[in-house]
Amino acid sequence: MHMKTLILPRDERTQPLRIVPGYPQTPLRNPARPLVKRDPTLSELTGPLEVAGRVKVLGGDIAGHGATQAIGQLMHLRVRVLDEDGAPVGGTVVEIWQANAAGRYIHPNDDDHAPPDPNFYGAARLVTDESGAFELRTVKPGAYPVPTRDGWWRPPHIHFSVFGRVWLSRLVTQMYFPGEPLNQQDRILNAVPDPAARESLVARYVPPATEPYNALVFEHQIVLRGRAATAAQP
Amino acid sequence: MMVPTGEATIGPFFPPRYVDAGANDLTQFEGRKAKGDVIEIRGRVVQEDGAPLENLIVEIWQADAQGIFRHPADPRHAQADPGFFGWGRAATGKDGCYTFRTIRPGAPAGRQPHVNFMVMFSGLLRILKTTLFFEDGPDPVLNLVLNRKNLLIGKEAEPGLYTFDIRLRGEDETPFFDD
Repeated sequence: MHMKTLILPRDERTQPLRIVPGYPQTPLRNPARPLVKRDPTLSELTGPLEVAGRVKVLGGDIAGHGATQAIGQLMHLRVRVLDEDGAPVGGTVVEIWQANAAGRYIHPNDDDHAPPDPNFYGAARLVTDESGAFELRTVKPGAYPVPTRDGWWRPPHIHFSVFGRVWLSRLVTQMYFPGEPLNQQDRILNAVPDPAARESLVARYVPPATEPYNALVFEHQIVLRGRAATAAQP
Repeated sequence: MMVPTGEATIGPFFPPRYVDAGANDLTQFEGRKAKGDVIEIRGRVVQEDGAPLENLIVEIWQADAQGIFRHPADPRHAQADPGFFGWGRAATGKDGCYTFRTIRPGAPAGRQPHVNFMVMFSGLLRILKTTLFFEDGPDPVLNLVLNRKNLLIGKEAEPGLYTFDIRLRGEDETPFFDD
């Protein structure tokens, strides 16, 4: 575990635009003034560690079993959480949420047409292991229409909230699936200008290689801000 | 060097169960009471047209009463208050208001006492970061917003109760930081 973390400015092209054409809430909720550039101090270069001691960890198996297995395509998602040096970020809390196979969330804000699944809540909260890895057993989320009523559908995606080692490594992101036609027109995925950065938000399909071959397998990588600082310090 | 993953909005469906009961009360940790003066921080979060935003997620991070962060990068962290975790989360209600119960932080080296804020919501593709101060004074972050300082200084509405409204956009919008 690194004591000190170095945070460098990000390449803006790898991060989403703040105001997105066709996403009507964005011009109402994003600051009109330019953000104030600041050099991080100790306050932003520290942050909550061991968040698992503060919130309830729910585990990473949310697909259900036997008679209570959720409807949909069973999938295993293997994720690694790394820092900008490629070093694993172990022991950090990851919060995951997603729609069910029909594209419905269990949330008061979702009054969409699609049916809820009594066997699927769609929320996993877990802690990465020493290698920065975690595995999620779930069903593949469905796509759903956005209430802009102009043909925008969200492609299948999974939400992640990750804490990391310091305040400025906190990340909220979404992961997409390869080969989905809706990826091409999604206003959130395509808000990231750099094509390689967009591609890194898409999971990799891995042919199932072990018994019982009953689940699709995807792999994904999440890179948090921060490098190990090497400056000599007391 | 690896490229940090692109951010995305938290969206409208962040699970309510992730706002754990007591996550907005920082005054105790692992059965111990935090040292220092208990305070409450309350505020309303609004968008450009003044509409209050419900179910918006606010997270805070702060030093303990002695100005020490519970993190190994703080040279004094061995003396950190074992009853103080320093992080909290709240969701706004129908009226757009959040509440935290915490202790008034001490001054970290070179800084005025302050609380770091993060705002996450549908329509925000990036986390918005700002900082609450309790009074004016020399501080490298407060100094960056000289003519808008008043928007970052909480008002002591009654003893121990600070209000800190967050306006995401519009006249008198809250200063947000890029770091």
